[in-house]
Order: sequence, then C-alpha cells, then structure tokens
Amino acid sequence: MPSCSRPPSIERARPLLGTLVAVRVRGAAPRVAHRAIDRAFAAIAEIHHLMSFQESTSDVSRMNRGAARAPVVVHPHTFRVLAWAARMAQLSQGLFDASIGSKLVEWGMLAAPDAQALTDANATFRDIELLGGRRVHFKRRLWVDLGGIAKGYAVDRAVAALHSCGIRSACVNAGGDLRSVGVHAERVAIRTAEPPLDALPVLEIRHCALATSCGRISSREHAAARVTCHVSGHTRQAVDARTTVSVLAGRCVIADALTKVVLVDRAAAVPVLRYFSAVAHIHHPESPGSGWSSEGVLQ
Amino acid sequence: MKARLLLLPISPLALVAPAYAVTYLTVEQAQTLMFEGRLLTRDFRILSSAQIQAIESDSGVKVANEQLHAWRDAGGGWFLLDQVIGKHEFINYAVALDANGSIRQLEILDYHESYGGEVHLPAWRRQFVGKQHGAPLQLNGAIKNISGATLSCGHVTDGVRRLLATYALVLASTEH
Repeated sequence: MPSCSRPPSIERARPLLGTLVAVRVRGAAPRVAHRAIDRAFAAIAEIHHLMSFQESTSDVSRMNRGAARAPVVVHPHTFRVLAWAARMAQLSQGLFDASIGSKLVEWGMLAAPDAQALTDANATFRDIELLGGRRVHFKRRLWVDLGGIAKGYAVDRAVAALHSCGIRSACVNAGGDLRSVGVHAERVAIRTAEPPLDALPVLEIRHCALATSCGRISSREHAAARVTCHVSGHTRQAVDARTTVSVLAGRCVIADALTKVVLVDRAAAVPVLRYFSAVAHIHHPESPGSGWSSEGVLQ
Repeated sequence: MKARLLLLPISPLALVAPAYAVTYLTVEQAQTLMFEGRLLTRDFRILSSAQIQAIESDSGVKVANEQLHAWRDAGGGWFLLDQVIGKHEFINYAVALDANGSIRQLEILDYHESYGGEVHLPAWRRQFVGKQHGAPLQLNGAIKNISGATLSCGHVTDGVRRLLATYALVLASTEH
C-alpha cells in the first residue's frame, strides 16, 4: 500500500537577529538534518555579528565610527548586502535608503553608535561609496543601518548552508522573513498591524521567499507624532503604522527590502516589484472589502 | 515561485483572539541533542529568597519562578530549562552550559504567541506548563509559520542573563 504520510520534518529555533529564527528541514535523516540546521544557525549568527547596529565590533559599527574619515574594509557578506542596498536604493530612487540610522537613533529605536559624532542631515545612500578591495567610504557623516535588508540576506545564507548539506526541502523563518525551498507548500499566517476580526490571512507559498513589514509593534510616540521603525528615504518621515505589506520574491534579501519600498510609496514601488518579478499583498483596515489588495507580478 | 492568499474564517465561537503556537523540541529531545545522549541527572532546586535577591541584583532581571529546573551531566555541564513571558509571547527554552558555566547551546523548545493580552493570564499560561507535545492553540495544523512585524527576543536574552547569574550563585559550587 503506498504511504501517504508526510515526510518527517525537524525544526529548531534560536534567538538571533533580535528575533526568533526557526529552521525546518524535511525528508532528511535526523543526524543530517540537525547538522544542517546547526550550519544554518551558524550562517545566520555570522550575519548577525557582521551587521548588527548595536554590537561595537560589527562591520556596521566600524563603518559608522570610521567610514566618513577613511575607507573601512568590510567582510564580503557586508559588502554584498551594501551592494544590494545600493541597488534597491537606485531602483526605488531612494525610497529604500540604508542611511536612515541617524533617524532611528533620533527616535530612540537604535542606540547611537558614537555619541561624540554628529551625522549630516543631508546624507543619503548616494554618500555611501563602495570601493575596490571591499572598502566602504562615507562622503558625509552618516550612520548606516542594514536592519531593513540584512535579515533577508541572513535567511538566504541559511538556505545556502542547508543546500551545501544536501538538504532539498526546508523553510527558514527569521521573525517573519522566510524562505521555503522544495516542492512542499508552506502555509504562513500573516500578522497584520491590526489584529484580524473575522478572517485570518494566510499565504500559501512554494519555493519562494516572503517578508512582511508593518509598523505597529515597533511604533511609538516621538515629539507628539507616531513614528515606526520604517522611514521614507525621501521624506525621512515614518510610514503609516496601520499598513501591512507582505512581499513574495525569489530571494529573501529582495522580499525584505521591497516591503519597505512598498510601505513607503505603493505606486512608485510597482516598477521595482516588476523588475524583481515580485508581488506585494497589502493590508490596510480602511481598504475596501477584505482590506487586502495586491501589486506587482501576480502568479 | 507559487503563492496564493487565503482568508480563513475565524470561528466566532473562539474564546481567544487568534493565537499561534509551535513546539520545536521536547525536553528529552533537547537533552539528547545538546548532550549527545549522555546521561543527565535531575537536580531541581527551590531558590531561597536570599538567592533570588542575589540573582536579581547580579543580573538585573526579575526571578519569576523560585523553581530551578536543572539537570547535570557527569562532566560538570548543566542543562537548564526556563521560560520567559513577553508582551505577546510565552517561550520555553533550554540552555546547555559547559563545565566552566559558559553557554554551549541554546534551543527554543516551544513558542506561544497571542494577539490579545491573554499571555499574561495564569489560565492561558497554565495550559502549556509541563506540556511538550502538540500545540494546543494552533489555529490550523497546516499553518506552521507566521510572518509579520518582528517580535523581539529580548526576554530570552534577559532570561539567559538570569540563568548565568543563577549558575554562578547557586550551581557552580555543586560537586559532580
């Protein structure tokens, strides 16, 4: 009689990247699965230590302390993430901008990397120069924050680590930035900014990456205005905390960064979504019907 | 790449707001994984009020449970079981310490999240205590993931700081 049981799956979770990271592996012997999961966690921990805004020894902290004075040599992963950030910034014409660190510090969402140094209010992503030899130079004083893209990159690295261990079916979820590989369909509940009353939104995905952003959990009062951890690269204002954006893309680094672009300017994000063959599902409690609508390349 | 958005009705009879729960490892599985099947001896303690005070002042973290769930291995290592409660989440986790008291491994055992405030209700929490199998509040057995505004794991970090202080003040002098 043919077996219809589901393939065995092994899942573990650790606190990394400031959130809960879960790695699930299917169809592998437990010993192989656990070794692969260990490697995946190690890959994520490496990105965490390189790109943390808070850890004083991270590449991000070293750049924020010194890259305005002289070029700073960074790890290949950091350089690659900076290159992704630059590409996102160019394609979105600055809607995505990794130079927003000082704004998040001003709003009390990040601790200042160096209390002595002030940043230039006019600095943008264009002031981040990527030079040969993995050197990074800031043309103005700024604080780079890779929080809007590094988590997605870390998920992609974890998937690569699983691949290198021979794993073909898996799911890596870093606090909602996730990537599923293999033929198995994953059902993912979407946590919206406003809790659902009558219907739970669920995305069913297969062999792709998904990231969701909304401002609600991190939003707070600042100078009598509501701010969130998402900042427009153009206006330097916080985006609407009631909107939730889920983006599906081929890689998690793309999905992660695109959620911010869509949150900031939905209409302007459309060509960027199309460029990456990505789709965005957007929820706002005041939108008609279910509150959900979509943009980009629908499957 | 294939994806579709589903809107699954929430039963009006549900007594709680949408919640999410997942079990990663049982206590036994975590022990086997972290100590590679070596024999562990159960060594549970009740912390005295003086010990609690010392742990709190050393770690800066409040001790919510006077029971210390500890197992030791013959080589001087420890397996500690602990739980933390955040604003929306309730997490059981385990820490493996080596003979020097440094962290060798940390694994989340299970994770429960609620949209509402019931995570702070004793009755809501009680249903998870001692349960290592299954996910009692899981909305749908096929939903194993959640995506949304990033939840902080800061409470686990605090919990680990508290456990390290507990090791130094209570367990380190234990003869193996």
